[in-house]
Amino acid sequence: MATLPPTIAAPAVAPRRRGVHTARRVVPPLVVAVLAVVIWWVSAVVADSLIFPTPLEAMRSLVADLGNPDFRANVLDSLRILVLAFLGSTIVGSLLGLALGLTPFWARTVVPIFYAINSIPKIVLYPIFLSFLGIGELSRAGFAFYAAFIPMFLVAVESTASVQRIHLKMAASLQVSWPRLVRQIVVPSVLPSLATGMRMTFGLAFLGLLLAEMFSASSGIGYELLRNVSLIRMENIMGTVVLILVMALPPTMALQWLENRVTSKYGG
Amino acid sequence: MSTTERSSVVPGYLRPAPATSLGLPAWGWTVVILVAALVAVDIAARFFASPLDIVPVSDMFFTALRLLTDTDFLVDALGRTLGIIVVAFVLSSVTGVAAAYVLWRFELWDRAFQPYLNVYYAVPTFALYPIMVVLFGAGVAPIAILSTIFAFGVVALNARTGFNAVSPIVTKLGTTLMLSRWQYFRSILLPYALPNIVTGLKLGLSYAIISVLASEFILSTQGLGHFISIAYDSFDIADMYAGILVVAAIALIATFGISAALNRFDWRRR
Repeated sequence: MATLPPTIAAPAVAPRRRGVHTARRVVPPLVVAVLAVVIWWVSAVVADSLIFPTPLEAMRSLVADLGNPDFRANVLDSLRILVLAFLGSTIVGSLLGLALGLTPFWARTVVPIFYAINSIPKIVLYPIFLSFLGIGELSRAGFAFYAAFIPMFLVAVESTASVQRIHLKMAASLQVSWPRLVRQIVVPSVLPSLATGMRMTFGLAFLGLLLAEMFSASSGIGYELLRNVSLIRMENIMGTVVLILVMALPPTMALQWLENRVTSKYGG
Repeated sequence: MSTTERSSVVPGYLRPAPATSLGLPAWGWTVVILVAALVAVDIAARFFASPLDIVPVSDMFFTALRLLTDTDFLVDALGRTLGIIVVAFVLSSVTGVAAAYVLWRFELWDRAFQPYLNVYYAVPTFALYPIMVVLFGAGVAPIAILSTIFAFGVVALNARTGFNAVSPIVTKLGTTLMLSRWQYFRSILLPYALPNIVTGLKLGLSYAIISVLASEFILSTQGLGHFISIAYDSFDIADMYAGILVVAAIALIATFGISAALNRFDWRRR
């Protein structure tokens, strides 16, 4: 919702017109959401199957799950690892990418290798993480870190390598020192790309973490999901999926907001 | 330090990147780094690490070659996985471009669905996989459906960008020439959006590959992903690494293959 093109969002019209405007923007997506729930509900009632729950049953089981301290601990466990892995990959990826992007020759040398590594489906590498980091939090966190790190690193390298030459020329004519060049020209010009990268890699880190937990873990949301599969507790699975949705959307919107702010401040 | 810097008036960050460093061009160093990394892994595996963790690179390679001549592996694991990838890729490409066309054509639909398309990859789609397995069993269907859904978003997003990128002047030209809807689509809209669609299709293929392998890896009883996970479970480390090597080769061949094939349609690159 935050990505409206500026041509639509910009004009400061009278409050009433703006209200109409917001309605035009917000109502259609809401209708879609309501319709989706209705379709789910109707198909559940029509199917009348033992395993396919209605939204109400799913929410009820989610509330019941959330009342269970074990489940809450698992959710918090995943959340903690997700935050750590995401922040770690953002910081390490940006810094390494920045460092490499500043030396174009070595960027051209190393980047193809990382593109190749990035094109390998990450999940098949997870056993290697398990072998070396052991079954447990370390391998899960390591895998979520890895899933987000490589794209973040590539984004940082590419954006650093494509700082506008005219800005560099201006710095050269002002005889700007090297650290100041990085601080005042390179960093501001890569910030928008880094913000976009953060928004993308958050989803990747979460996905990586869930996959890792589904494959082998004794705690976490993915573990809860998979345990319910073997018990065929469909309403719990649906409830957990809704919970995952609720967990994923606010950070994404916050990162989207951050991206818009950074882009309007430093971008083009 | 000052003498070397004074020797050129142009600061280092403005000079073009050198063609070679220490007598080697960039691709030469790429090869050197790759070979050094492989040799390091090989030495570590031979002399330092536990044989339950890693096997030497040469062993991985020969096990992979042996697997590729094994009919059971080729049919049950490799063939099946490639088949699902192709199905998911084709389905997601067709539905993705079609959905983007609908969004472009009907503004109300665009307003209704655009926010969801924007957060498409924020929600880990694999959370849905357990539901699919319960609904459709552990066969091919849930994997193909999930992978189609997973690859759909990136195709639709890129195609939508392409359709919306048609410059107004070309649209006006179309109106002046009184093109029919089909003629407009055929000779303006599609060619104009093609570079973006191509980008979407390339990404779609890699998303399909990721999704198929991940699904097989977690909850399937067959396929290449399952082969790797079962090898891990049964401590068959050589097979596991060989499977990973095969997957890496497939992913690389597919990525570069589709780029080479589709870039010819990308008129902005010419």
